[in-house]
Amino acid sequence: MKSSWLEKNTFHYSEFNDLDRLVEEKQRKNLKISLCLPTLNEEKTIAKEILIMKSELMTRYPLLDELVVIDSGSTDKTRKIARAYGADVYEATEILPDLEQFKGKGENLWKALYVTKGDIIVYIDADIKNIHHRFVYALLGPLILFDNIKYVKAFYDRPIAIGKSKIRPTGGGRVTELVIRPLFSLFFPELTQILQPLSGEYAGFREIFEAIPFPIGYGVETSIILDIYDKWGLDVIAQVDLDRRIHRNQDTRTLGKMAFVILMTFINRIKKLGLVDIKENLFNEMIQYNLVQNEYNPDIFKIEGHERPPIIEIPAYRDKFKKSL
Amino acid sequence: MDSYLDNLPAFVDTIKSIKETIITNIVLIGQVPSPTFKEKRRTSIFMERLAEFNVDECTTDGYRNPIGIIKGTSKTKPPIFVVAHLDTIWGTEIDHYYTIKENSITGAGIMDNSIGVGVLVSLPDIFRKLNLSFESDIVLAGVIQSLGKGNLRGIRHLLKTWATPIRGAVCIESNELGRLNYYADGMTRCEIDCNISAINGWEHKFKPNAILILNEVINQILKLRLPQKPRSRVIIGKMSGGFKHGMIANDARLGFEIQSNSDKMVKSIFNNIKDIVEGISHEYEVELKLKTLSNIRAARIKFNHPLVKSTVDVMKKLGLTPVSEPSESELSIFLSRKIPAVTLGITRGENYQQTNAMVEIEPMFKGIAQIIGVIMAIDSGVCDEE
Repeated sequence: MKSSWLEKNTFHYSEFNDLDRLVEEKQRKNLKISLCLPTLNEEKTIAKEILIMKSELMTRYPLLDELVVIDSGSTDKTRKIARAYGADVYEATEILPDLEQFKGKGENLWKALYVTKGDIIVYIDADIKNIHHRFVYALLGPLILFDNIKYVKAFYDRPIAIGKSKIRPTGGGRVTELVIRPLFSLFFPELTQILQPLSGEYAGFREIFEAIPFPIGYGVETSIILDIYDKWGLDVIAQVDLDRRIHRNQDTRTLGKMAFVILMTFINRIKKLGLVDIKENLFNEMIQYNLVQNEYNPDIFKIEGHERPPIIEIPAYRDKFKKSL
Repeated sequence: MDSYLDNLPAFVDTIKSIKETIITNIVLIGQVPSPTFKEKRRTSIFMERLAEFNVDECTTDGYRNPIGIIKGTSKTKPPIFVVAHLDTIWGTEIDHYYTIKENSITGAGIMDNSIGVGVLVSLPDIFRKLNLSFESDIVLAGVIQSLGKGNLRGIRHLLKTWATPIRGAVCIESNELGRLNYYADGMTRCEIDCNISAINGWEHKFKPNAILILNEVINQILKLRLPQKPRSRVIIGKMSGGFKHGMIANDARLGFEIQSNSDKMVKSIFNNIKDIVEGISHEYEVELKLKTLSNIRAARIKFNHPLVKSTVDVMKKLGLTPVSEPSESELSIFLSRKIPAVTLGITRGENYQQTNAMVEIEPMFKGIAQIIGVIMAIDSGVCDEE
């Protein structure tokens, strides 16, 4: 296992807080940068994210060239509020409407590639209560300053002491530690160095994102890492400590569903890579039980496991960006 | 003077054009808990933001009040102070994360005093946007230890140790747009603690109840004859005590304020209450302790002071109706040191001092324009005449 990656490619947000330098380097390299916020009923937090990013990274420091909200059909005021604060707002179904429609975070991220113009795209979740512009500039730092880095992932709250005698155990939430980390340890030990592979905040070059498929649901974070690792190797990936992130706490049942989707994505990937041979097709239903008046009733969560192909394979995308396969 | 008055309505739109930055400052500072005596983290963010906005000097005084200074063009004119208190009534256990909607910000402390502090930190950028410079240095001070037991220690220290004269001051409060405070009542804030020994014995066969003892204190305070002139009152503001429903209360605490526009009357009422406390302590054979938490001396500038008159003109030009009441805030410390000052509110809202406090965003821009107008008035010399 290549263990030097953790030391070499792990950063702290404070290493990138010289925003003048980032802007200067961005301009020198003639880069355009897009921020995308995927949403579904985020009326409580969306305005704050837009305001802070616009103020700090568009008005005061011209680091971002556009701020786009891709919504999965919120039933609250998410879209109205986002528009009121000046974001470019799209409903996912309006983008590439001739394609079959799906609903999910991965779908929003994939469609964002079609509507944004940036050479670099930053994705951050729209439910962050303690949002701060470091969430964006720190993800951009390694991409702008280091030519070899093409994809940057966030991690939070758990400082790690590398190279010192005292190393604190670190990692992500429950799904990361109970599902992803054991799987990575079994199949891709190198990837265990990515401390929080499921974090919803990451950024990368368009050329990377357009060349990989996007599962439409929860599995998107896992698949992005596996596909980038497979195509370009670990050295194009970096991770940045963004300090603390306050977000909604999910209950165990919801996490169970998330784990199910992630396992499904993972197994499909290792099958494709020829690492395992599964004789039968996997079932696509997660079954949980509720006790209702002394009876156990199954609660069935069905996952179709749809996946969007690399967007470069979509002719409308190639036409718009004047690209070829 | 009229020239700047005429510019004020246009200022509102220019200020609104940087609303993202103003609200960002409000959020980034206001989301950091800052209970009185524990303002260190908010102080750091305040300094960080001021430094970001390139003020000429950014420092803390000996008491750790954070200060930013924007240098003026004159070497002789004294500085103008703009202050907002940094502390809040909420502890660190309270969720301070704000929710922003189309025209509102909701969350703990937003009305007291996150809007005020966020606007204060935004002033350098607002001045730049409005292309304003001043003869006087502008001192932007976030003062600590203002509320409750803080007893305005931050501002007291800042003014006590400030070496040069001060030309005038504006105190900023989040709430409420239209307030114009230019006088402060004399005030003494007190607590009475009643403690009854928990040990059972024959001498406590008929054990007194601490809550009922304080009830008797309240009854006797209410019987005090208070004059209408000088205007005086006692506000019974807080009470706590007891352990559980079926048990006689061993301890209880009463919090109250004596307010009057005469310091003598405050003192006289305090002495009356002291007598009441001593009498009840003696008659009921219980321990009653009267503690003074804070004191403010009555101070004022007159309604016809040029600063007040100019402030009224500024407010009227912006379509605001000034409402005046006494204020026991930083204002009183400026006035007691003979520094002309006013307190102004930035916006309107509801649920004041509740965790779901809510302010309106739209009126804020007029509230800020009013602050700018008053700073310009002071810079034009309205405080220099008396």
